[in-house]
Amino acid sequence: MDNTFKFESKQKTFLLGGMALGLLCLAITFLTDDSLHTRFWTNYLHNVTFFTGISFMSMFILSAFLIAWAGWYTYFKRVWEAMTQFMIVGLVLMLPVVAGVWLGFHRLYHWADADSVAGDEILQWKSSFLNPTTFTIASVLIVAIWYFFANAFRKSSLAEDQGDGSYDQNKRQTVLASIFLPIAGFSSAAVIWQWIMSIDAHWYSTLFAWYCGASWFVSAIAITILLLIYLRGKGYYSDLNASHLHDLGKYLFAFSIFWTYLWFSQFMLIWYANVGEETVYFQTRRDEYPALFFLNLGINFLIPFFVLMRNDTKRKAGTMAFVAGIVILGHWIDYFLMIKPGALHTAHELMGHAHSATADAAHAGEHHSTILAGFHYPGLLELGTMLGFLSLFLYVFFNQLAKAPLIAKNDPYLEESLAHHIEPPYTDTF
Amino acid sequence: MAATVNKEVLYGVYDDEEILLDAIKEAKRAHLEIWDVFSPFPVHGLDPLLGLSESRLHIAGFIYGAIGTLTAFLFMTWVFTRDWPMIFGGKPYWSVPSFIPITFELTVLFAAVGMVVSFYIVNGQGPGVNNAILDERITDDKFIIAFSVNNYSEEEKEKLSQFLSGTGASEVLTKEMPA
Repeated sequence: MDNTFKFESKQKTFLLGGMALGLLCLAITFLTDDSLHTRFWTNYLHNVTFFTGISFMSMFILSAFLIAWAGWYTYFKRVWEAMTQFMIVGLVLMLPVVAGVWLGFHRLYHWADADSVAGDEILQWKSSFLNPTTFTIASVLIVAIWYFFANAFRKSSLAEDQGDGSYDQNKRQTVLASIFLPIAGFSSAAVIWQWIMSIDAHWYSTLFAWYCGASWFVSAIAITILLLIYLRGKGYYSDLNASHLHDLGKYLFAFSIFWTYLWFSQFMLIWYANVGEETVYFQTRRDEYPALFFLNLGINFLIPFFVLMRNDTKRKAGTMAFVAGIVILGHWIDYFLMIKPGALHTAHELMGHAHSATADAAHAGEHHSTILAGFHYPGLLELGTMLGFLSLFLYVFFNQLAKAPLIAKNDPYLEESLAHHIEPPYTDTF
Repeated sequence: MAATVNKEVLYGVYDDEEILLDAIKEAKRAHLEIWDVFSPFPVHGLDPLLGLSESRLHIAGFIYGAIGTLTAFLFMTWVFTRDWPMIFGGKPYWSVPSFIPITFELTVLFAAVGMVVSFYIVNGQGPGVNNAILDERITDDKFIIAFSVNNYSEEEKEKLSQFLSGTGASEVLTKEMPA
């Protein structure tokens, strides 16, 4: 098969259809929503942060692997390079949320409401970090810096294809990656605090950024596995073998455990210390979202742990696709659990005792009476919105993938990547 | 004491694992009976060439780990609900989250120690066991293909030496090993 991915019109139509479905779901959500449009804005933020994070993590993976002199992934590294390009779309999609923090047309963040802050000591104390200016810096400037590095990295990688096989571009990428990594490590924490943790404006956890980042990382690996299996099925990457898949499986396995480790560390310390301001976060989630709360652990830990423990399951496309699919859905649900309860609480606070869907839902949450789709569990509109954003992500991905050769032919590690297989009895095919 | 016949070993020393693998393939083609192969590190593809089946150590490891999980969890459950119930920080007696770290540690401990001990027993190794070493350089940078030549005639031994040199062995040596 040739070295260039062809983005067929059939795929385009399909993905555009997915995006239309997403837009339709967003529009229905907006029209049937309460006066603050809580459901609409939480769904929007949920998916934008989730997919932008996956894109960011693919840049993180590329940089970390390059710094570590890893060679096994080089054959398909253009997949990750194409995934990083979604970051600019994520930046643009974050702009309405940023504008809303200034103009107040959404109420995602309690700290963005001046009246609430005026009567709230905790929010006043945090206002040096939780304010519209820092939110704008985190959402626009930091993501722009990430994109700058991702873009420079990709440009250098593409320039290497035209070069004469010298190591100049590889050295350039190494420099870019080693500057990017420390910046990414610290700035991603700030972005996660602003975008997601500050929804529960009174609450904080020092582990949150790692836990959230691990969720992104696992999702990025899982989506890579699905995309590679798909691309191979289409006839591209014909030299991709079971050992490449095996290593991706190890990452999925290891980082699922890492995610669980962080989730539990955060939970246990708060549970043990039993300080009211901290415990309320988990109490809300356990008592009002019991099914999702335990489902989250079940499908993000137990399934990858037990299915991927044996080495032969990591070498089969079927089991890997199954686990990767489950895990992506699982981490999407994890984000649902991070975002919805806090936003619901904020909406309740801001609306007082007014009667609306969200206020009722918030009351219901406190009185354990009614359960509402879109707030207590992902409804059909949430799933449709997710499919819409997923289609957008894939559209940007395939579009970028088609713009460059699939194989970086002058990368010094390409030979190592092609030689990445082990002897019988293991087979290369999957 | 019954007299034991020492094992007479003829072996070729190789400098590189790729040459070693090729030499083993040659030996199999020539239907030579290899006694053993020594290497300072695991060589990819060596086990299937020698016809060794996959190690079952990891299955034992899983079982040891599961025993560790159960031991820790059930012991703590028994202590804190039956034997000596105590209240910590206002938590119920049976507080599962607080058992998790110790359960995890004992899982790792049982799996690790169990696998090391199993490995030692199966291979006849461990502290205090004095194994004869064919050639000390196998712990450094040399690879060895060894043949047991007690029943070989001088002519056969000569042919074998030539075979080893011919497949890239840098040295061909013989040694008496305790049986």
